[in-house]
Amino acid sequence: MDFGTSDFKFGPISCGENPRIVNNRGYFPDKKSVMYRAFEATSDIIVGEDVPLYLQSTEDLSTRLIYPMRNGVIDRGDDNAWRVISALSQFGLNSFKPEQNNGFQGYYVVASLSSVSPRYMYERLLQTFKENNDGSVRAITVIPQPFAVAIGHGVTTCVVIESGHGNSQVCPVSKYPIRTAQVALNRGGGDANAITSEILKDAGYGDLTGEEALVRKVKESIGLVPGDLESAIQEAKKNPRRYRAKYKVPGTRVEIDLEKDSWSRFLIGEYVFNPNHEIFESYFGRGMPRPKDVKMGDTVFRGMLDFGEAIIAAVERCPVELQPMLYREILLSGGNFSWAVPERLEGVVVDAPTKIKLLLRDKGIKNVSVKMTKSPQFSVWHGCIIYGFAVPDEYEWDWQRLEGWMKFGGKPSN
Amino acid sequence: MAMGAEQGEPDQSIPGLSLLLGNDKICVVILNTDAYSQRSKIIDTLLELTALRRASNLVYLAAPKILGTAIDAAVFRSRGIGLLLFDERRIEEAVVPEKIQELQPVQAIQTQDTALLAEVTNLRSMYVEMERNIAKLREDLENYRVSVGTSADATRSMQQRPVLAPEPILPGQGSQLPSFFTNNPWLDLLSRRGKDGETFAA
Repeated sequence: MDFGTSDFKFGPISCGENPRIVNNRGYFPDKKSVMYRAFEATSDIIVGEDVPLYLQSTEDLSTRLIYPMRNGVIDRGDDNAWRVISALSQFGLNSFKPEQNNGFQGYYVVASLSSVSPRYMYERLLQTFKENNDGSVRAITVIPQPFAVAIGHGVTTCVVIESGHGNSQVCPVSKYPIRTAQVALNRGGGDANAITSEILKDAGYGDLTGEEALVRKVKESIGLVPGDLESAIQEAKKNPRRYRAKYKVPGTRVEIDLEKDSWSRFLIGEYVFNPNHEIFESYFGRGMPRPKDVKMGDTVFRGMLDFGEAIIAAVERCPVELQPMLYREILLSGGNFSWAVPERLEGVVVDAPTKIKLLLRDKGIKNVSVKMTKSPQFSVWHGCIIYGFAVPDEYEWDWQRLEGWMKFGGKPSN
Repeated sequence: MAMGAEQGEPDQSIPGLSLLLGNDKICVVILNTDAYSQRSKIIDTLLELTALRRASNLVYLAAPKILGTAIDAAVFRSRGIGLLLFDERRIEEAVVPEKIQELQPVQAIQTQDTALLAEVTNLRSMYVEMERNIAKLREDLENYRVSVGTSADATRSMQQRPVLAPEPILPGQGSQLPSFFTNNPWLDLLSRRGKDGETFAA
């Protein structure tokens, strides 16, 4: 089970290449509502594909529709979020319930959490499964998502960089996750949305910036990552037609056209990888929030560290002998690394792996290999499946290692 | 004899003449004219000669010239068997045989049991074939191990583990492992978790 910031991906090995996916969210319906009574729902929490059927007014959404893993961390006292996690876990197990009396003794469940999840999240999740077990679960374990990515990708020594909506994590792995070397960044896809909003405001489209989904679509459509920001801006100003940024909202008459300010599309990509360029100071000055260092759980998330510095900081916390091997296998995972390179703009525009290589090269790190994971959407789930398949039954849960099977016993077979 | 060959040691197992020419052992099987009336006799003799190739360097069939018309020289050439056709006046080498054995010291050839030699040669070729098959089986087993990630321990742990599924089989799903299992080094590494005594990275 992959508990991602937006999606819950789940399923046994018989799913084959791809898991089932539902939104990682739950809805607490108003039990007095007509809709609730009409659907004869008995559950206090609705999860899975049925959620849209119960959604009511938009005013309700902020209080009733809960996304528990928005930043990868659930507050210790956020009971509603934990109830959603519990409901999703049950939903996942019930979706693959085998026939009764066929000798089934329970699943070995591998759950995956963000690498920055504090110890209490492991405790709470394992406790949740234990309390709700109806015989579906024989044993459970929890592994960090970057570790699962390394397993799914088939590389035993590497640095995995996961970048999602709210934050990014740089995680060295060498047969085990090297937890003490992890570096977390308080920067993700949401920050790219923020700079896109500012660019739209400057171009006269401020009225559209209130809808997050639209801003995200504009970002994905016009955002570009420059190999070198200053030369890319110069190039775009010299050839505005070539670099023109336009986006038409499907099904509407709304069209966004940055015209002579199309050079600003490079700021979107650059900001994700390196927010330190002086050009961003004017946006901070005008009120765009500067990514700050924050502490969530046990981890300090750095706001302004660029990805190159973050990787170096993580690798240099590892044994010296291991460091060259880590630089030679850097894996990028997560939607925040999906940046297109239009064919006619190659050379000026780069993809995420190339940008990382350039950032490291500027800091004197040359023998690097940076790749996207083979299956960015499913590599965590793939890793969970392999882990569950291969790890021996006798390897028991250890609170120091944070690995191993916590066994429940399961139902006796008839 | 006209070429300088000398009569060799008589050998009960070899029909016909056994001659020595330098280091070459020559065997000549003589076909009589009554073979003309017994077609099968020619075929039987040819088969005998084929067997004799293991025991001699050069093998000839000597047949009366009158039988030459009933004999297809191409068959002899393809088998490396020489053909001598003779009448009252002369002997003609109609097909030159192929030498089939390494030069052996005359004394060694004289002392070896030819039948035993043939048997040993046969066994040697069978042994080479078996070696090849075993090497192939080893390779297949290694490939299987890599793909499934089996070590002795992993096999044991999989045998010991209770049934994970039977998970419901979804339509279109085969029984093969998904592609992300192929050549994945984690399968072997994870199967040894807790067994190798290795310390984990903190």
